[in-house]
Amino acid sequence: MRDVCVIGTGMIPFGKYPEKTLADLGWPAVKEAIVESGVPPKKIDAVYCGSALGGMLSGQRVMKALGITGMSIINIENACSSSSSALAEAWTAVASGRHDIVVVIGVEKLTKFGGGTLPLEREDWEVNQGQVMPAVYAMRAKRYMHEYGLTDRQLAEVSVKAHDHGALNPNAQIRKRVTVEEVMAARPVAEPFTLWHCCPTGDGAAALVIAAADVARAYRTNAVRVVASEVTSGLYTNGHRDMTWAELSARGAHEAYEMAGVSADDIDVAEIHDAFTIAELMYYEAFGFCERGHGYELMNSGATSLGGRICVNPSGGLLSRGHPVGATGAAQAVEIVRQLEGRAGAHQVEGARVGLSHATGGGIAGLDHGACSIHIFAR
Amino acid sequence: MDALNRADADVRFVAPGLVEIDVQGKPVLIGGCCGGCGARSFPRALVCTECMSEDIEPVALGTEGTLYSYSVVHQAPKGWRVPYVVGYVDLPDNVRVFAHLDADPKTLAIDMPVTLATGVVADDASGAALSSYVFKPL
Repeated sequence: MRDVCVIGTGMIPFGKYPEKTLADLGWPAVKEAIVESGVPPKKIDAVYCGSALGGMLSGQRVMKALGITGMSIINIENACSSSSSALAEAWTAVASGRHDIVVVIGVEKLTKFGGGTLPLEREDWEVNQGQVMPAVYAMRAKRYMHEYGLTDRQLAEVSVKAHDHGALNPNAQIRKRVTVEEVMAARPVAEPFTLWHCCPTGDGAAALVIAAADVARAYRTNAVRVVASEVTSGLYTNGHRDMTWAELSARGAHEAYEMAGVSADDIDVAEIHDAFTIAELMYYEAFGFCERGHGYELMNSGATSLGGRICVNPSGGLLSRGHPVGATGAAQAVEIVRQLEGRAGAHQVEGARVGLSHATGGGIAGLDHGACSIHIFAR
Repeated sequence: MDALNRADADVRFVAPGLVEIDVQGKPVLIGGCCGGCGARSFPRALVCTECMSEDIEPVALGTEGTLYSYSVVHQAPKGWRVPYVVGYVDLPDNVRVFAHLDADPKTLAIDMPVTLATGVVADDASGAALSSYVFKPL
């Protein structure tokens, strides 16, 4: 396998754009990434586009707006891991030698659904009985609180931390800081979650240009390398399952660390899938940033805030930057690349050299989650 | 298992295949039991996830279990009667069931024993009530 580098990044500020089409959300991010890379459009060998709910041919709809067509365009749906899965497929295509330069897109327009919880597949028997994504995470939270003594107030502090970071990020959907009291007093969504415990729905797009390392040298010196790229799926059971342990993410983390030849101690910055507050604490544990049951302790120490030893979600994460499902993985990758290049601005993690991105999700009965995709980047 | 769905004709279930009413008028959850390896499933699987056998007989699941976790849902798609309480109930034979809970959430506690019942949980497009299996504290 060849080394793979990121040579261009682009994204639009996440938010609500009900008047824009999916293509009009996507092309500015792709254009920014291509211009940043310096790659002539004719040199793009393939496009991998992730979107969960964008409908058919999302990638073609975005690329034709820029008049860049004719190459292989592959559209990928993998719920919340759609564009991180697209990045993984793009990585494989470049690493294997099949392609030299590939564009990755994540694009999603959730405002077309008019708000509320994410539409889930009614064929799923739990969904047919009234399951909703907030309740899945809420039940994890309840059980975790029962087993580890985490309090409502401590859980609310996760939201405060996320919004403190997001307030510094011009691309974040929510740039407002919140207090513990505001979080706890907001309207309930699925107990113990109030609105501020839940990622907002919205629209967004992000893109990357990746290239084989020897090709990348023509466009960029010292480009960020993608040192691990992997996708895993949840293990099915209709039996009893420990919902306080993110088995899928922990398994993916183990594989990704092995592929990159790094350990949890080497990670300087991480963008993880905090769709709901409890997820952030559980994923600290899944990634080995702390022991099981010690997620809050780690956050409360300041270690995962800007200035801490392992900054988690400097962008504000899903809770604050926003979570237009299929666009999230690409946005996380853009964030980590810019962090490692030292150009993240007000929310820069000083001296970051190794970072990871993690997008997981998909409400589906019997699986922890449908999919999980993890990437590790190094300078 | 032959006196099925004989209950009140005006009770309509969200998913009629999952619950049946026995001769005493009590609800029963219908799972599957694999003829190949004995694994239980709920809802009844068409193919066994342990051994891929397609020989899966309907089986009445236990009606009592323990509450693994729960939540009160305040925001849900149209049709559900919000707020409603849902939880995961662990039944014997390693089966976990997602279910509505018929209880004041203040009376619920993780790991408490619960028992099967039925109740109205939603309304269809015309506004008519839809029922389902539910669990309530024992």
